[in-house]
Amino acid sequence: MKKMIAMMPLLASVLFAQVNEKIEVPYVAFPVKMGKGFEAVQANCLMCHSFGYILNQGRQSRKFWRGKVDKMIIHFKAPIDEKSAKIVTEYLFEHYGNGKEK
Amino acid sequence: MKRRDFFKKAVVTASSAALGTSMLKADVTGQPIDNRKVSKVAFPEKRPLIMYSDRPPLLETPRDVFTSALTPNDLFFVRWHMPDIPTHIDPETFTISVNGLVEKELKISLNDLKTKFEQVEVTAVLQCGGNSRSAFKPIAGGIQWGSGAMGCATWKGVRLSDILDQAGLQKDATWIGFNGSEKAAYYETPNFIRELKLDELDDHVILAYEMNGEDLPYLNGYPLRLIIPGTYSDSWVKMISNITVTNAYKHLFFMDVAYRVPDNACECETHEKRAPKTKPIRKMNVKSVIGYPTHNSIINHKSHVVVRGVAWDDGHGIKQVLVSLDGGKNWDVALLDDGKLGRYAYRTFRYSFKPNTLGKTTIMVKAINKIGHTQPFAKDIKWNHGGYKYNGIDEVTVEVV
Repeated sequence: MKKMIAMMPLLASVLFAQVNEKIEVPYVAFPVKMGKGFEAVQANCLMCHSFGYILNQGRQSRKFWRGKVDKMIIHFKAPIDEKSAKIVTEYLFEHYGNGKEK
Repeated sequence: MKRRDFFKKAVVTASSAALGTSMLKADVTGQPIDNRKVSKVAFPEKRPLIMYSDRPPLLETPRDVFTSALTPNDLFFVRWHMPDIPTHIDPETFTISVNGLVEKELKISLNDLKTKFEQVEVTAVLQCGGNSRSAFKPIAGGIQWGSGAMGCATWKGVRLSDILDQAGLQKDATWIGFNGSEKAAYYETPNFIRELKLDELDDHVILAYEMNGEDLPYLNGYPLRLIIPGTYSDSWVKMISNITVTNAYKHLFFMDVAYRVPDNACECETHEKRAPKTKPIRKMNVKSVIGYPTHNSIINHKSHVVVRGVAWDDGHGIKQVLVSLDGGKNWDVALLDDGKLGRYAYRTFRYSFKPNTLGKTTIMVKAINKIGHTQPFAKDIKWNHGGYKYNGIDEVTVEVV
């Protein structure tokens, strides 16, 4: 019983934080389709988010993918120039497109 | 290499499921994708879940977890917007700031929060507005979630109104901004901030530090997150570090562009003709999900099967859950739990039946809430470009042997 009481304050401080060290979010390798334009994707997209974020959008139109690239530029302030934006859109549409322009 | 193969496989199965539903009729909304396997990778404080992205982390809870009213913390879904999440927060030194149009600026430590305010609890469903998005046809923009971008927990913390009372609001205070601690890769990227209008906030809104009796997991917003029962999770800011009171609404991406549905009666539009005006998704609609059996479960002929699952809405409360075994022609009433967790919690249901025919049987479930709202058949779900607020009648197909 004495031992129990002595442990109480210690227990309280341990309960306070479930994790006492830095957490580590694992890196995951996604099945990337290699091809023309992938380097531009790597340089312009994967700085901010995983490849999983791209491929889990489902197959989409060219307009959709261009819209996503524009969203990154306009709303998220990604420094992507027009030339790269075109290359990235082409890559996305070729590998994750649904064959439709719009 | 092995891991990569695994994901390749997972993606292939996922897309074949999408084809499966669209074979019925082109461009008709069906059931959400339901055959994804959990990842082999476990994230911090989590068991392996269905995984879409590591940066930012996006994790989905598998269907079979939804047989109980509370979702365990280590199975609770995860959704972040920015890749850089603080990986260590010292609970001894952490403070939350309250500033802007207040009489007295505050910096409150976790300890003060736990000792100097009234402690309150609420059990509430946390659901992503894009939960079940993969059901929409044509494919809606965004992560193609199955039905598990949701969970229900008992949240403990302090009323937001008590904190604001202590700071004292100035006369022209109208908006409250909540700032999460996650960061983007670029300095210029706007932070994840939500603004709520003062009159939208009732006493049920809390700042929670505890989830199901434990600290919040990091990936669910340790050490403090906002709880707004009845609304979709996009406003439940995680890892809150700052509360700012203002008199003017700031234009924010996550408020003005994302998480919005057409501003018309059906909240719908078509792919060809998008609605000119949109509004925030806000309150949840009535919905139910089957936790057992799951797709392709094998059940024995003439055995007693108990179908279990959860139903919820925005806090009006669930009145009834109905089950159909004949494709939606006849519906029978399921048993509900006692509802003691409150009107914002999952209401669990159970329904026992004896399968009398061999082969495939489809079990359908729909909920009705206390104001008479119910769930449409999946094929009758109206489309919106963001794939938000899906609440089609849930179904699983099992094999009777």
